[in-house]
Amino acid sequence: MEEKIISKEDLLNLCKDVIGNGHTLITPGKTEYAVVKDTSEIVLDTTAKPTKASYKTFVFPKAEPVIYYKRGKNDVQLLDVDVKQKKTVILGAKPCDANSFNILRHLFNWDYKDEFYNVREKQFIVIGLMCKFSDEFCFCTSIGSSPVSDKGADIFLVPVDENNYTLKVVTEKGGVFIKDYEKYLKAGDEAKTKKVTGEVKLPEVAFDSKQVHEWLGTNFENPKWDGVGDLCLSCAQCAFVCPVCHCFDIVDEDYNYTEGRRMKNWDGCQFGHFTLHASGHNPRDIQGKRYRQRINHKFKYYVDKFGEILCTGCGRCSRGCAVSIDIKEIVSNCKD
Amino acid sequence: MSEQKWEPKIVAFVCNWCTYTGADLAGTSRLKYPTNVKLIRVMCSGGIDPVFILKAFERGADGILVSGCHPNDCHYNAGNFHARRRWEFFDSLLKFLGIEEGRLQFSWVSASEGKKFVDVVTKVTNDVRAMGQFKAYKDLNDEFTAKFPEPVLNEKEIIMSEEEAK
Amino acid sequence: MDKLRKYATELLQKGEVAAVIGYQQISEKRTKPIIAKTAEDCTKLVFNEYCLNNLAVYLTKARVKELRRMNGTVLKLAITAKPCDVHSVIALIQENQLKREDVHIISFNCAGVVKDFGMEFDGETLATKCIPCETHKPLYSDAIFGEEKETPKVSDEVLAKIDAIEKMNAGERFEYFKTEFDKCIKCYACRAACPLCYCQRCITDKTIPRWVESSAHSRGNFSWNVVRAFHLSGRCIGCGECERACPMDIPLSLLNRKMVIEAKEAYSYVSGRNLETPTLVGSFDVKDSDELFM
Repeated sequence: MEEKIISKEDLLNLCKDVIGNGHTLITPGKTEYAVVKDTSEIVLDTTAKPTKASYKTFVFPKAEPVIYYKRGKNDVQLLDVDVKQKKTVILGAKPCDANSFNILRHLFNWDYKDEFYNVREKQFIVIGLMCKFSDEFCFCTSIGSSPVSDKGADIFLVPVDENNYTLKVVTEKGGVFIKDYEKYLKAGDEAKTKKVTGEVKLPEVAFDSKQVHEWLGTNFENPKWDGVGDLCLSCAQCAFVCPVCHCFDIVDEDYNYTEGRRMKNWDGCQFGHFTLHASGHNPRDIQGKRYRQRINHKFKYYVDKFGEILCTGCGRCSRGCAVSIDIKEIVSNCKD
Repeated sequence: MSEQKWEPKIVAFVCNWCTYTGADLAGTSRLKYPTNVKLIRVMCSGGIDPVFILKAFERGADGILVSGCHPNDCHYNAGNFHARRRWEFFDSLLKFLGIEEGRLQFSWVSASEGKKFVDVVTKVTNDVRAMGQFKAYKDLNDEFTAKFPEPVLNEKEIIMSEEEAK
Repeated sequence: MDKLRKYATELLQKGEVAAVIGYQQISEKRTKPIIAKTAEDCTKLVFNEYCLNNLAVYLTKARVKELRRMNGTVLKLAITAKPCDVHSVIALIQENQLKREDVHIISFNCAGVVKDFGMEFDGETLATKCIPCETHKPLYSDAIFGEEKETPKVSDEVLAKIDAIEKMNAGERFEYFKTEFDKCIKCYACRAACPLCYCQRCITDKTIPRWVESSAHSRGNFSWNVVRAFHLSGRCIGCGECERACPMDIPLSLLNRKMVIEAKEAYSYVSGRNLETPTLVGSFDVKDSDELFM
């Protein structure tokens, strides 16, 4: 399908229809992506800062039960969790966020097909929106993306003028979705789109990810890692706001002596006790080792395993860090 | 099964040396007190951690009583003095957060005050009965609650087959 | 700034301190902590309205305490602390986590800091913690820098919000706090950023039995926030780092400020002001009120 144009007004009408059809609509708010019940809550601003938290909680909830148990007199009954997800549209995902599903999908379909993730992700339509924001923490261009990249989005929007967006269908899923709303679409203008996207200021490339990957392979014992962790408070906020960090903890909870559930909760490798063994030994006992793990996982191990960098360059981790630890700075120093 | 009228569940954290002994005295004196209360004996009121209170509310308690020795009478000399300050803050915090006044109550009951124990427990039970079930905290629990299917009796548990029952 | 840097460099060179925990400027409107161990590090030290962090949080960290051991002796640690951060240091000394002679306090005449990095500093953007502040000069210090300035006068929104909440009935208050705590993702950034949350094993890490659940559902969130507010009652000095660190913008200052007010009203006590007084909840008075008890 070639590019189409949709007016701002019609986009809101489309949203009204989406909500009216019983689907869930999610847009970026101030701190996080949130479900909107009314189109008046929608604010699409290409110059807005990325939200403090990402939208991974909608496909990978911060806490969810994986199985329920009930102890009877002679047996234990188990009840599977029925994962349900209504069709959900994310409107206004920044290019850095839009690509998160492409990256996460590998992990949740690797040695085990994670139903909890797959059932949810299948129902999502990601409508990306071009980004005109850039600060000292963004580095999407260093990991192979850009503020105008449509990778990961099912549909991509570019504001071509005061009242109109170019609407580009990127995936088959997006094409199937937009068919119901074709009445809002007019013929597109590719030249105009190219002009607008061409004018976007790209963040400066801070590091060469291939060179970083190579350096990480041979510098596990480099003393540079020692100092890196000194300032970190091990709060793991960086892992929690990251759109692609996916570590989780399994813990059993009971609500009385006979019934309970097994919960799958977010966890972070920066927590001091993340690798604490039952014996008391902790292989990653100091912050430097834990930070080394974070960088290696994101820029080396995940690349080796799945061919994707486990990072979208959104900079949320650095922007939100209470002690201003900048991942871009640390990765840029991963060289001799 | 007949519809049972709701009765409040009261949990009482009582210190071993004074209040628990006072409750014992109430028992030996054959004084009647509401059966709603479940006593949990701790060694000293100073050893009652506020997380016990939260856990009790989480598990369905409608009202909680915390009781210890009178000041200057603590078996461990100062346990109840420490408790006093602690509860001042915890009570103020819970009230601020919206836990109704009267759900968490405190008392000093000595080992010889069997009657007082009965009075205190009766008061708490009546107060909480008037306030109703502690729905707010219970609702926090309802997220992710499973509905298990009715239990199916397996072969060994069926004592009489249906024909034999006729 | 030069005076500060020169002073810090001298402290290091004279071998009086093992390191200076201070702030460095990383962009026009943002600073970051730095643990200065060399003269070169000291040239980066700054103090201005963008020094938001409470550096006292590092004084209880094992890695930082390790730095004190140098060449067979144990040296002090110097810390550049705003007057409010000095309260944290005093509170830590009151709780026997530090000795007064182990820390060299470099403080400032402070006129307030911004709410968040990247903002222009004026009356509108004054940090909420600075509004009720009464200590523009540090109560304890080994050196004071900076000129005295006027703090912009701003209305106390936190106090106003607390009053508004107290006017609500119990049901409304519970609803309000439940909605706020539901946002919590249990990242524990509030705990990590707090200088007084120094427990090696936090109660929420205890699994047998599980008193405070670590799951981020309504029940777990409510119980965590209540327990943390309670554990800080009578101790919190109001540095606001917990609220700043929270990625979900939960109004933790409401809870902690309420407990500070309670401590003042019920016991005329403010934490971290006097090295000689014992901590509030660690001590007692036989004449404390019995009002709560039947």
